[in-house]
Amino acid sequence: MNPSATDPVVSSAASPARTGPSFVAAALRVFDLSLGQMLWSRRTVFLALVVGAPLAVGVLFRVLEAFGIGPRVGQNLVSGTTVFGGMMWLLYLRFIVPVLGVFYGTALVADEVEDKTITYLFVRPVPRSAVLAGKYLAYLATTVCVVLPSVVLLFFLVVPMGKGSLAAAFPDLLVDLGLLALGLAAYGAVFAFIGAWLKYPLVTGLFFAFGWEQIALVLPGYLRKFTVAYYLQALVPHAMPTEGLGSVVQALFREVPSPAASIAYLLGMTVVFVYLAGRMAARREYVLEQ
Amino acid sequence: MTAKTRYFFVGSALVLVLGLGIGTVAYYGGVPGGLFAASPGSEELQYVPQDAAVVAYADVRAVMQSELRQRLLKLDEESEERGRDEFLRETGIDIERDIEHVVAYMAPEEAGERAPNGMVLARGRFNAPKIEALVTGHGGRVESYKGKKIYTSVEGKGGHAGGQKMAMCFVEDGLAVMGRDDLVRQAVDRGGRGGNIMDNAEFRSRIEGMQGGSMWAVGRFDRVASTAKLPNEINDRIPPITWFSASGSVNGGMRATVKAEVQTDEAAKNLRDIIQGFMALARMSAGNRPEMQALWPELELGGTGKTVTIGFSVSSELLDALTKAGESRRKPGKIGARIE
Repeated sequence: MNPSATDPVVSSAASPARTGPSFVAAALRVFDLSLGQMLWSRRTVFLALVVGAPLAVGVLFRVLEAFGIGPRVGQNLVSGTTVFGGMMWLLYLRFIVPVLGVFYGTALVADEVEDKTITYLFVRPVPRSAVLAGKYLAYLATTVCVVLPSVVLLFFLVVPMGKGSLAAAFPDLLVDLGLLALGLAAYGAVFAFIGAWLKYPLVTGLFFAFGWEQIALVLPGYLRKFTVAYYLQALVPHAMPTEGLGSVVQALFREVPSPAASIAYLLGMTVVFVYLAGRMAARREYVLEQ
Repeated sequence: MTAKTRYFFVGSALVLVLGLGIGTVAYYGGVPGGLFAASPGSEELQYVPQDAAVVAYADVRAVMQSELRQRLLKLDEESEERGRDEFLRETGIDIERDIEHVVAYMAPEEAGERAPNGMVLARGRFNAPKIEALVTGHGGRVESYKGKKIYTSVEGKGGHAGGQKMAMCFVEDGLAVMGRDDLVRQAVDRGGRGGNIMDNAEFRSRIEGMQGGSMWAVGRFDRVASTAKLPNEINDRIPPITWFSASGSVNGGMRATVKAEVQTDEAAKNLRDIIQGFMALARMSAGNRPEMQALWPELELGGTGKTVTIGFSVSSELLDALTKAGESRRKPGKIGARIE
């Protein structure tokens, strides 16, 4: 599916006799094409920085520990398990997962519009929603294959510090990996919809992830139920760190759904928003700026 | 998919598979030596029976060498040193240096039992001849049981607890077990093989979650509560707790987490509300005293589903204040000086 201008453009409307590939086959073709585009694009540097930063912090902790300066809370030495739990909360769940969702999810359609290549995709004899589904799957594969190995490496770097036990922390690692994958899927779906819907989705996405979600989580009442973080945080096996007023307030009003309900909501959210994004992409008329 | 992309995904999958493989091996049995060595206390847990109600661990060396202990020591250094020296003289054991860690457990009390139904396992360096001399010197007996020497208490001299003899035995080189005679003999029978608490899946998962702290305890609250005979006023008001666990680490200050598990999500929410109410009440009572607020331990209430957790840390400032208060209490004041 090379968007070359010399390619014959055959739409299903122009040639009714020719039938395009099925939805699944089309989505997989787009997935295959988009994988390389996502991995080796200008965003790769950003992705490497975002995922490499926690590993750099982990290496720094190990170096400091080798010099006898272990991680501390106040004057207390804390175990590697606690440090890993804190990093999962503060770096991965509150920053990396939403930020990857925003930058990659909103770009699924917006990048094609901005680069004026969306026409090449949409004139192909494939459903537009299959294009979005393929791109979404490529986003998920890329982010999961970058974030999860980095978490595993971080686990082996940080957990053995201060007598932390790898064996004891291993079940939590499995939960962490699962919830990160679920978080990337849910955030990606929400931002894919925003990207397919709005003209300037990045600003809206950033506001949603770092404005709305942060505010709604600390407000008493039901508003937090309209966030992804609310369901994601309910699955975290580590204790919530208290690093600021926001966390204290959040802990005060903390009311968490059950793990089963959280998983159901996150999966439901993913399916619904991917569907809505596909529907939006299929119906919306994208105007390319000249 | 280009070759470059394919290599990336293969590399990523390799890291994941390798990491999860190593983690699985560490989880199911561990790899001897270094990074993946079995956690401290795991060998002693082999001697704890499957039906124990509570099991606890303390890294004695870490606690004894912590800054926290040094601070507490200042409160009553003289009597502390005296007691330690006396114990060393009598047993040849320097608690500060010779004991590495201790594991203790309590079994559910049987009907009509009055003796403490538990045992302590201490790992360290022991001067066996000196301990034997001490036991026999106080009228105790040395018996041979399955190739091990069992030191039993003397009858009629308070060595019996609830009609049961107390005993001690070195079940391994550097591992002493102390407790009721029958339990010590069971430990010798068990010999650290099979049928121990780590075969109890419920205990195992909770114990493994505790590793890393200087001390921890895990237990069935319902079994302990029936033994402890809590007042009805408390029993009626708190939601029925099934499991409890606590872990803590000490150094300059102390940091600990207590976790309670109840039967339903609703009960957990109620328990969280009760604790939150107590915390708010306590904070309110200290509200008009800024010096008290500064000393207030950092409390963190959390938990999901059926669990309730309370994390707290006692800052070094609080300990400093306590140390100063202790010192000023020991110093003779004006009245004391006049009397002297």
